[in-house]
Amino acid sequence: METLVEARGLVKNFKRKDGTEVQAVKGVNLDIQKGEIFSLLGPNGAGKTTTISMISGLLTPTSGDARIGGFSITKQPMEAKRLMGVVPQEIALYPTLSARQNLNFFGRMYGMGGAELNKRIDEVLDLIDLKDRQKDKVDTFSGGMKRRVNIGVGLLHRPQLIYMDEPTVGIDPQNRRRILDTVLRLRDEYKMTVLYTTHLMEESQELSDRVGIIDHGEIIAMGTVGELIQQVGEEDQLVLKIGEQTIDTSLIERIPKEIQGVTRAAFEPPGETGDQTSGEVIVYAKRGRKALPHLIQIANEAALEIMSVEVREPDLEAVFLHMTGRALRD
Amino acid sequence: MIKLLSIAINDLRVMFADRGIWVQIVAIPVAIAFFIGLANGGFGAGDPVPLLIDIFDNDSGELAAQFLTDLRATDSNLVLCPADADLCRLDGSELTEEQAQTRLTDGITSAIIEIPAGFSTQALAGDSTAIIYRSEEGLGQTSAVLSAVQAVVQRVSGAVVAANVGVNVFENSGPDFRFADDADQAAFEKAIYDRATVIWTALPPAVQYSESARQQTSGFSQSIPGIATMYVMANVLVGAIILITERKQWTLQRLIMMPVSRGQVIGGKMLARFVTGMIQYAVLFAFGFMLGVRYGDSPLAILLVMVVFTLCATAMSLLLATIVTTDQQAGAILNLVILTLAPLGGAWWPLEIMPQWMQVVGHISPIAWAMEGFQTVIFHGGGVQDVIPPMLVLLAITAVCFIIAVRRFKYE
Ligand SMILES: Nc1ncnc2c1ncn2[C@@H]1O[C@H](COP(=O)(O)OP(=O)(O)OP(=O)(O)O)[C@@H](O)[C@H]1O
Ligand SMILES: [Mg+2]
Repeated sequence: METLVEARGLVKNFKRKDGTEVQAVKGVNLDIQKGEIFSLLGPNGAGKTTTISMISGLLTPTSGDARIGGFSITKQPMEAKRLMGVVPQEIALYPTLSARQNLNFFGRMYGMGGAELNKRIDEVLDLIDLKDRQKDKVDTFSGGMKRRVNIGVGLLHRPQLIYMDEPTVGIDPQNRRRILDTVLRLRDEYKMTVLYTTHLMEESQELSDRVGIIDHGEIIAMGTVGELIQQVGEEDQLVLKIGEQTIDTSLIERIPKEIQGVTRAAFEPPGETGDQTSGEVIVYAKRGRKALPHLIQIANEAALEIMSVEVREPDLEAVFLHMTGRALRD
Repeated sequence: MIKLLSIAINDLRVMFADRGIWVQIVAIPVAIAFFIGLANGGFGAGDPVPLLIDIFDNDSGELAAQFLTDLRATDSNLVLCPADADLCRLDGSELTEEQAQTRLTDGITSAIIEIPAGFSTQALAGDSTAIIYRSEEGLGQTSAVLSAVQAVVQRVSGAVVAANVGVNVFENSGPDFRFADDADQAAFEKAIYDRATVIWTALPPAVQYSESARQQTSGFSQSIPGIATMYVMANVLVGAIILITERKQWTLQRLIMMPVSRGQVIGGKMLARFVTGMIQYAVLFAFGFMLGVRYGDSPLAILLVMVVFTLCATAMSLLLATIVTTDQQAGAILNLVILTLAPLGGAWWPLEIMPQWMQVVGHISPIAWAMEGFQTVIFHGGGVQDVIPPMLVLLAITAVCFIIAVRRFKYE
């Protein structure tokens, strides 16, 4: 495996208006392998955009450096920038120019021109499915269409590496699906390397070969989705909702003893956490689905009325919760 | 270089994609130049402003009289005091040197001319002598009066030299030829002097401009370059706001993440502003031409002033971009800068009608130097060489703004 992006000790301090400093990124190390989709998962304000800005040459790191294909982004920025395409979190387009004019201008910034550029613009317009609207001004586009042009600009010069900073923010499910499919195609068909940031666990889980979880400017976990989940244990959670009913503690104690594979069980009365209106029996089991019939049987014997059952497989959300004690969505 | 050009072209494309730009660079400036021009005299000649000069003729000789006659002939608006009594605003009192000095400082008169005793005899004898000219004008400022005086002095002394040469030639021409007496010699000298004067006056009168200056300063030939220069400044300084907008819409950041150097980005943006400024000049000068304004004899000098001023405004816009952070702030500063520098620099009315101290203060405005350049060409028939001094000042301002801006410029 060849490493395409190699960041070491990236730190970024910002000066606040009142003169104090904030450290938005606190020593990030990253290794992105050629041909993989690497996602940077973290809540708002975690430092995703700041990190991307440093490894794309937009911000100068307070300390640390990154090498892109062997070129230092701080010392050989031109060479490094040529290798990458960037899709910023913001829609970075000229709103009063047409989609084609935008693509044309930014293409020239990569040194393209003439027939080659025109051909490439056509290809990109095909890929982002906007050929029929290419002559229209960008500010007449829907949010999803703008997002697609935004991505298109990053792909123009056929980079081997692309950074995509939350490319699905603020758009409808249909457009989101389209973008996720495009990202997968970039890796599978075009053999590109993708750095994808998101605060959505589902996207990260679906797309990534590897994930880095970032919080408060630090990478707190890194690996394949499987590896990360293993770190928190591979247990499923079975959640039985039982409404206002009360439950005997002896019953809770029986569950791990009687059902094979269950490690522990707990009861959370209604109103305990957040907006929970129903009491919940939470059972942790190696293979949740297998334990389910037995669990329901015990509940029936105790004349417990079950309103709903949910099997929660361990996911990155659980990893985040495990590492930070907070939910990713907060 | 190609990238720099592409950036400039793209900026212009973005600018012209907005239809409102035509209102901004054509409709409004043209309307304002028209109405201000009209208010200041428009097509016809405005009321000529009398130019008072206090004269101390301590010589009262023939040549001094000749000088004064010639001077008077250059411009019908010249009022020579105390000779032209009723126009002199002397209230009947005797003119003293002290009084003359006060009149000059107060801006009542444009100059004091002192003809020293013995001027005529010394000049005719070929000895050096001088007419003393005093005024409040700064060095390098072109004044109608000074130019008239210089032209006349040149003419008179040229004629005197010619007369003396004639006499010398005559005296040295042979032993047999002598003047019968002194009167004879004087008559001969006079004859040569008169001939020389005829020759000198037959040359295109060097003071022609002062007439046209009287006629045109108050009309469109003042308002066209004035308003054009103001709008060039406005439309170039707007570049600072454009830079802020581009940062807001992230296109600037996107550019920076591309393999484009800082110099190419700044250069491209500045080139676009420069071209906009030149377009603005072209629009208004073309409009003025249609109104019948003529721009002197040196299109090259006019072009030079336009190019240098637009460069200066471009450097200022870059500096402004490093100072402001929000577009409201930029808009406010922009208005303040333009609404101060334009009237101060004589974009709305000729600086010459302002009190002396205002004329001096006005020269902190780059517009004043540009106007000086334009006026030199349009009113005084100047050429490229004549506009170089004010252009050097503008280039110095350009260099200072540019150096500070580049030092301050941050992408982040
Ligand atoms: N220019 C700046 N000046 C001061 N603070 C900044 C600046 N840019 C970012 N920050 C701060 O740095 C931290 C990280 O911001 P960053 O934009 O990198 O987060 P993010 O992970 O991209 O968040 P989001 O999901 O909202 O895009 C935040 O606390 C933010 O307020
Ligand atoms: Mg972000």
